[in-house]
Amino acid sequence: MDSNKKYWKGLEELNKTPEFVEKNKHEFAEPIPIEEVLSGGGLSAKTPRRDFLKALGFGVGAVTLAACQKVPVHKSIPYLIKPEEITPGVANYYSSTYEGSAILVKTREGRPIKVEGNPNDLLSRGGLSASAQASVLDLYDNGRTKDPVLNGSDAGWAEVDSFVKGQLASVAAAGKKIRIISSTVHSPSTQAVIADFITKYPTAKHTNYDAVSYTGIIKANQNSFGKAVLPHYNFDKADVIVSFGADFLGTWISGEEFTRQYVSNRNSASLEAKKMSRHIQFETGMSLTGTNADARIAIKPSDEGLAIINLYNAISGTTLPGSKKLSNANADKAVMLAAKELVAAKGRALVVAGSNDVATQVLVNAINSLLGSYGTTIDLDNPSRQYAGNDAELVEFIAEAKRGEVGAVLFLDANPAYDFYKAAEFKEAVKKVALRVSFSDHADETADLCNVVAPNHHYLESWGDDSAVEGYYTILQPTINPVYNTRQAEQSLLIWSDNAVKDYYTYVRNNWNTNLLAKGGLAGQPGWETLLQAGFIKAAPVAAGTYTFSLDLAGVTQTIITHSNQLAEGGKVQLQVYQSVAMRDGKKANNPWLQELPDPVSKVTWDNFAAMSPSDVKKMGLDEFGVVKITANGYTVELPVLSQPGQAQGTVSVAVGYGRTMAGLVGNNVGKNAYPFYSFRNGTFQTTAAASVEKTGDIFPLSQTQTHHSYEGRSVIQEVTLKEYLKDPEKAAGHEGEHEKYDLWEATNNDAVHARPVYDWVMAIDLNACTGCGACVVACNAENNIPVVGKEEVGRRREMHWIRIDRYYSFAQNGKAEADEKTGMVTKEKEIAELENFDNVTVVHQPMLCQHCDHAPCETVCPVLATVHSSEGLNQMAYNRCVGTRYCANNCPYKVRRFNWFNYWNDSRFDNYLNNEHTQLVLNPDVTTRFRGVMEKCSMCVQRIQAGKLKAKIEKRPLADGEVKMACQQTCSANAIIFGNRNDPNSEVSKALKSERTYYVLEELNVQPGIGYQTKVRNTNETELQA
Amino acid sequence: MRNISLILKRFTRSVLLVAGLASLGINAHAEGDPAKGEAIFKAKCTACHKIDTRMVGPALGPQITEETDDAYLTKWIQNNQALIAAKNPKALKIYNEYNQAGMTVFAELSDADVANVITYARTEWKKLQEEKTKGGGANGGGAAAEDKGPSSLVIWGLLGVIVIAFIVILVLNKVIATLERLLLRSKGLLVDEEEETADEKASVDRLATVKKLAKNKKLVFFVVLCGTIAMGSWSWVTMWNTNVHSGYQPVQPIKYSHKLHAGVMKLECQYCHSGAFKSKNASIPSLNVCMNCHKAVKTESPEIQKIYNALGYDPQTQKYDSTKAKPMQWVRVHNLPDLAYFNHSQHVTVAKLECQKCHGQVQEMQEVYQYSPLTMKWCIQCHRRTEVNAKGNAYYDQVLAAHDKIKKGEKVTAAVLGGIECAKCHY
Repeated sequence: MDSNKKYWKGLEELNKTPEFVEKNKHEFAEPIPIEEVLSGGGLSAKTPRRDFLKALGFGVGAVTLAACQKVPVHKSIPYLIKPEEITPGVANYYSSTYEGSAILVKTREGRPIKVEGNPNDLLSRGGLSASAQASVLDLYDNGRTKDPVLNGSDAGWAEVDSFVKGQLASVAAAGKKIRIISSTVHSPSTQAVIADFITKYPTAKHTNYDAVSYTGIIKANQNSFGKAVLPHYNFDKADVIVSFGADFLGTWISGEEFTRQYVSNRNSASLEAKKMSRHIQFETGMSLTGTNADARIAIKPSDEGLAIINLYNAISGTTLPGSKKLSNANADKAVMLAAKELVAAKGRALVVAGSNDVATQVLVNAINSLLGSYGTTIDLDNPSRQYAGNDAELVEFIAEAKRGEVGAVLFLDANPAYDFYKAAEFKEAVKKVALRVSFSDHADETADLCNVVAPNHHYLESWGDDSAVEGYYTILQPTINPVYNTRQAEQSLLIWSDNAVKDYYTYVRNNWNTNLLAKGGLAGQPGWETLLQAGFIKAAPVAAGTYTFSLDLAGVTQTIITHSNQLAEGGKVQLQVYQSVAMRDGKKANNPWLQELPDPVSKVTWDNFAAMSPSDVKKMGLDEFGVVKITANGYTVELPVLSQPGQAQGTVSVAVGYGRTMAGLVGNNVGKNAYPFYSFRNGTFQTTAAASVEKTGDIFPLSQTQTHHSYEGRSVIQEVTLKEYLKDPEKAAGHEGEHEKYDLWEATNNDAVHARPVYDWVMAIDLNACTGCGACVVACNAENNIPVVGKEEVGRRREMHWIRIDRYYSFAQNGKAEADEKTGMVTKEKEIAELENFDNVTVVHQPMLCQHCDHAPCETVCPVLATVHSSEGLNQMAYNRCVGTRYCANNCPYKVRRFNWFNYWNDSRFDNYLNNEHTQLVLNPDVTTRFRGVMEKCSMCVQRIQAGKLKAKIEKRPLADGEVKMACQQTCSANAIIFGNRNDPNSEVSKALKSERTYYVLEELNVQPGIGYQTKVRNTNETELQA
Repeated sequence: MRNISLILKRFTRSVLLVAGLASLGINAHAEGDPAKGEAIFKAKCTACHKIDTRMVGPALGPQITEETDDAYLTKWIQNNQALIAAKNPKALKIYNEYNQAGMTVFAELSDADVANVITYARTEWKKLQEEKTKGGGANGGGAAAEDKGPSSLVIWGLLGVIVIAFIVILVLNKVIATLERLLLRSKGLLVDEEEETADEKASVDRLATVKKLAKNKKLVFFVVLCGTIAMGSWSWVTMWNTNVHSGYQPVQPIKYSHKLHAGVMKLECQYCHSGAFKSKNASIPSLNVCMNCHKAVKTESPEIQKIYNALGYDPQTQKYDSTKAKPMQWVRVHNLPDLAYFNHSQHVTVAKLECQKCHGQVQEMQEVYQYSPLTMKWCIQCHRRTEVNAKGNAYYDQVLAAHDKIKKGEKVTAAVLGGIECAKCHY
């Protein structure tokens, strides 16, 4: 649709700020300090001439000497005894598990280089999140703890064992308590090991503690239905989804799984069946899920509980005592509408809330019960095991420790010294414990407090198992020998508890033989081998039962209202603390791939920030990235402000996971810690608070990629409402009329020269499926050896990502605004109205990568023919031919070419990231690392295409469709990217490109791009939200 | 197989010799026929035994020579299991020493056959020991003699010094002569000027031709032109071949001869370079591949000892000690730059190219050198000229059908199928 809708990447672009215009003009220009040289007496002075001659002399001499040098001798060191399964140069794949999802680990010559989803995985069917993709880099982290530590100095395992055993014995003899504090353990074998440990030391107790907790939901289910579980949600069975601040496509419980489910009701197949789910999101800060919603209503945290009460009232037809209207009339209307739609979709509806407040979750349970969601969209009988943290237990531990009752504490994958809200109190309390053991593989904040550090293996070095969902069991197998002198935590526990089985591998096998293999219908050695190959077993699921809520809600309502009143305290700004998609809870803060992954919404890298509504920012008179002082719950932090369209007015959002002080070289002191803003109320951690925000006058620039790569206002996004689409799909997809098409080459050459006789590699990207999560960016980093450049360089627009996700805002269309735009009347009043509209923006995500244009503008301007076209439709880049004129990047309308300003892989200035021999083991040996001064860009994973063709040739068969998958496509849980051969009319990609929704970005330029996009469809309701 | 037949050949030879000696000598123990014994030994024993060294079983020479109880030996050879079952202490001892790996039962051997074998083993062992003492002496002498000779470097150095000294003397003499003449001339003592004219005339004449030629501008131009062309083409060739290392033949840590293995023994290239079939790397074989044969073949060679040392392998106990193992550092002969992707399996398995096409007649190389220039020009030339080997490969059916539509009847080379496009090798 040739809409009047205006899309903009950032407020700078929308407002055309002078800085933005200036920066844009000079996107490619790099000032050369000619003036400096000339004015400084440069060439006229005497010394430079002599220096020049010296340099010349030295240079000539050095070059001559260098030329005389013989070629360096290359040593070739084969295996002494080659393992049978390894052929040097051929990758092996092993099944394993990442956080409960079955994965495949690609290894080369015995070292893991990439993590890929297992296509049969129950949760995400081969999709993987950004953090899973990045996890392989942690294995090669140079900052890992390399030896066990005893009382501050490196020690041997024997010393550590005898010390710990002695201490444990004396603690047990004294009858003091032993505590194991871990993030949720969902591995059956680890649970068994801990149970055995507790049998040996009866005073021991295991506490699950999650930095980002779901205790609220678990307790609510205990309260409502007597089942203390985290339910398994089925978004694929929901036609109407209403979410109150739950970022279920990003960080909430099981983002990748929910993405797959959610998109199955919104992708091409679903649209062809004329069906699309409807998603309404009520939230404070703009979350990844909010950007994908059909309707998004910005509400204050204090209104969230009230909105849920009102929703309950509207659905049940009763009025809970104390109900009141929201502070936002618009939201009130939206709640009524949502109620109507939910009731209409009874049995196919789902309401979720991100709150960790038990009362709120109980009310949500009541709503879901009224909607008949239990047994359909919510499954309580096959619950999720992903989070089982109990907030109160950790708080209780601190009290116990303070009283001196605890004799020993063991921290397994838990870091309360950083992520507990009262870290100082925690540190004080822990000091009173005699034996403090950390299993952390980094010298992190908690390990620093411990007298024993028994470093755990990385998961790629470990045996183990996992169970993310009831009845789904996955296996973990090591893919490399331990790199450092580490030992698996479970093994340490076995040794310290004098278990009959000392070896954890044997323990896991025994556990599977006796308990688990049978669930998948397997047995014995053959069963074990089948398991290792498949990676998981799936027990027959229990039928999901229906549950009815039948409790009195008066108390619950009262709690919610009291809390709401506290938040809405006069004159204060409401603070919301959330998880960012890249950094999550901060455990992976030392991972440079994740640090450099632009946040899906704000596009900020390497920092957290205070997100505020643009109108609030204006009101406070803050400049861009002006620093504010936020005080809440007795904690103060200074953070730069980011004008975030869609942020509720009078609120501020801050991401946790930053501000680590002992994460490692990469993660230390990146951003500020937001965990201390938490509070503990009614047995759970709360993520909202009433805060005061003050301007400090400082400026702290953020490295934000949103306005890099400007399109100069050209239209690149197409969007349509479901209604229009269903009325006339052909017209709705709105091709911009026929363009005059001509062939660049016709005049000089015959057809054959530029034909694509066999393969024509193209891609189809469904904007309606893409959620913008950014997993593809990290997958591409791992596959193509893309360097990390760091905050400073990102700030100079020098990020190297071959694929980026462009995020476009536009004002939600109410019909009215459009008319105003057409009349072109802009009054003062209108401006204010527009400002208010910043609450009400819609977002489209567009993955942008090299379009492999048939008439590639980059190719025609390269003076050295370093970038040319292949007979398979690929735009090839020969790095060694490139001399770095950067003409191609200047001429690329999509701005997808990246220039190597430095030799990022071998330059001491980028020391923190990948620039050491050890970390470089993660490199893909089939892709060259690029040197300073050359251009690079998406190669369409040509190494994968070539490998796929070769495999087919060796097996003497044609190449099958879907056999070659791009790295970005492979990791996409939403299946938004399809790659294939356009010459094959039956290929998936040909079918996808035939869709009437397909359009090509900037096709009017006649560059004939090879990547077709499918128009975004939004399931809007015409009557909604008419202001 | 070839290795085994080689061993056998060696044995036959030595055995014939011993047979001759034995007919002269007196047998100490059993009076068997060593020639017959040898035949039986070859047929039945060589799989596990050698005369002089331990293999799967003990070295038969010393073992049988030390054991004087022939009756026991006969029983053992005919049915060792019975002896073990009967808990014969001697039998148990050796059984346990060799990890309780039972020896094959040779019930079909008669007492006489056994006696023949025993005799053969003893005579052969005696003979070997005699040879060893003789050979050792000879070797020692040779080494001593060699030590006396000065190294070639010293000789060449001295020669160089002499040549330089000679040149210096000549030049100095000439200088002295000239100076003397000048001295005389300055003193006005131009003696025997007359006498010299004839000589001078001749020399002037000689110079005159040169001078005459030098005055011929065309000739000078021609000579200069030739010089320029020669220099130019030399530098052209040199510059184009910068970093081209055809003929590069580094010294390898083990004197491994491809000529022997691939040429004489006719081993398949892929027996060792197994990666060439299925991987981008042809791969240098790991040492366990060497050990497939060299556990038994040429065990005494100092070069083979290097393999044992690298593996931490003890040929006496036949055990590997991984703590002593240290990797073998070969020197790469064929070095492609990192920016070029080359895949062996594409060329070997799919295109079915002979290894020799790029690596030269390896089977004739004592030490391998780089045969081809490995330049991009060389790659492309071949891709332009070589027809695609599509026979019997269903992958190419569709590919060739598509091409036929465009390029009817034209020869389908690798280049036609896009084999010279950048991203086929550079990514």
